[in-house]
Amino acid sequence: MNRPARALSHGFWTCLGCRQLVRVKPATHTCFCPRCGARMHGRVEASLMLTWALTITGALLLIPANVLPVMTVIYLGAGDPSTIIGGVFELYHAGFWGIALIVFIASIAVPVMKLVGLVILCLVVQLRLNVSPRQSMRIYRVVSAIGRWSLLDLFMISILVALVDMGAIAEVAAGPGSTAFATVVIVTMFAVRAFDPRLVWDVYESNKAESSAHSTSSDH
Amino acid sequence: MEQSFQYQEQPESREVVWKRACHQCDLLLTRSHAPVGQRLQCPCCGAVLHRNMYRSVAHTAALSLTGLLLFIPTATLPLIEFSLFSFGAENTLMNGVMALFAAGYIWLASIVLFCSVLAPLAKFLLLGFICWGSAWVSMAKPVAKALRWYHHLQEWGMLDVYMLGILVALVKMSDLGKMTIEPGLYCFAAMMVISSATTVSFDAETVWARLARHAEIPRKPVVEPEDDPERSSGEGAA
Repeated sequence: MNRPARALSHGFWTCLGCRQLVRVKPATHTCFCPRCGARMHGRVEASLMLTWALTITGALLLIPANVLPVMTVIYLGAGDPSTIIGGVFELYHAGFWGIALIVFIASIAVPVMKLVGLVILCLVVQLRLNVSPRQSMRIYRVVSAIGRWSLLDLFMISILVALVDMGAIAEVAAGPGSTAFATVVIVTMFAVRAFDPRLVWDVYESNKAESSAHSTSSDH
Repeated sequence: MEQSFQYQEQPESREVVWKRACHQCDLLLTRSHAPVGQRLQCPCCGAVLHRNMYRSVAHTAALSLTGLLLFIPTATLPLIEFSLFSFGAENTLMNGVMALFAAGYIWLASIVLFCSVLAPLAKFLLLGFICWGSAWVSMAKPVAKALRWYHHLQEWGMLDVYMLGILVALVKMSDLGKMTIEPGLYCFAAMMVISSATTVSFDAETVWARLARHAEIPRKPVVEPEDDPERSSGEGAA
């Protein structure tokens, strides 16, 4: 009986808006937080389904985001559109390998890592995998912390479009890939918000209960 | 000591007073607040549950006022200037949004506008209102609403990411023309630092404790919710 007490099994919910602990009557589906007035659920409603949907949307949008050009630099009437990875190579060949690395991490490594992390988290909950919840939490925290840095490329594009606008001499134009890329970042940020990390612990607890029940029955 | 002793002896009893549950792993805890200057971490998953900063409300009010004042020069002064031959162009905070909007990238322009201008500005305004308004009992309801707004808006302010974007733009275009740093950028950097400091110094629990002087904001750690239909009809009328 040394199992740690989880709020849901003791009839408590935590408001995600203000983190107030609330004792709810049994069989309550939803209620409002008495302190901040936000709508409450025991677990985020339809968390897994929403996370899956947003993650898959993000993964599909990653294709146009990387294939279509994000930006065109026209210098003296000449210049071709460059994709995200093209921009990284340009910086690398110009000798700015530090900046190239930053852009590579922010706009290629981070979105891919985020999507892979979300898929792993969803699989852990969906397939009830017997993995350490601490590792899943580590993935969850990394994924939720790094997400916003992907917007770096878009901010840079918006600055350059305003800055380099001299007609025929030099001009920077945004490309259709940037819209897709922006949507990837926004959609994956919402996906992380939709995921409820407490589901990982629910799976862990139920797996542990199952295995202990199994071992006691095989002892007999 | 007494509490843990009881817990060991009769784990099924209702004697243990639960005061908080971890929002990331749902572990029930018998403590809800960290002492001043310390933080409360979940013993199970390590999530930071509460960070009690010294004089949180006063510091946050001062910092958000500073941020609001810094917002004026940041939004009006140019951040960087690019010159090529005899042509020159300046970038202000709103310029890039307008250029993208004019080029037809409305979705992109609105994301940039929201994350680099609206969300940071709203954050300063909301925090200033929360810290200032929590001193009056009669302001409890709007402050509670502002706290909810702040909670949703918090992660969308991306001044630090924008700052890095400016640096990358500076380097990227340095071989094409001449880039000069304008005074607005210093104000922007200061605002970015203030924004991070505001986020760290703000503690919602302290504000909730102050709001609890109002009759309708519960003070107790655990409260029973009112009946759902009553509450929802009241919400609809409001």
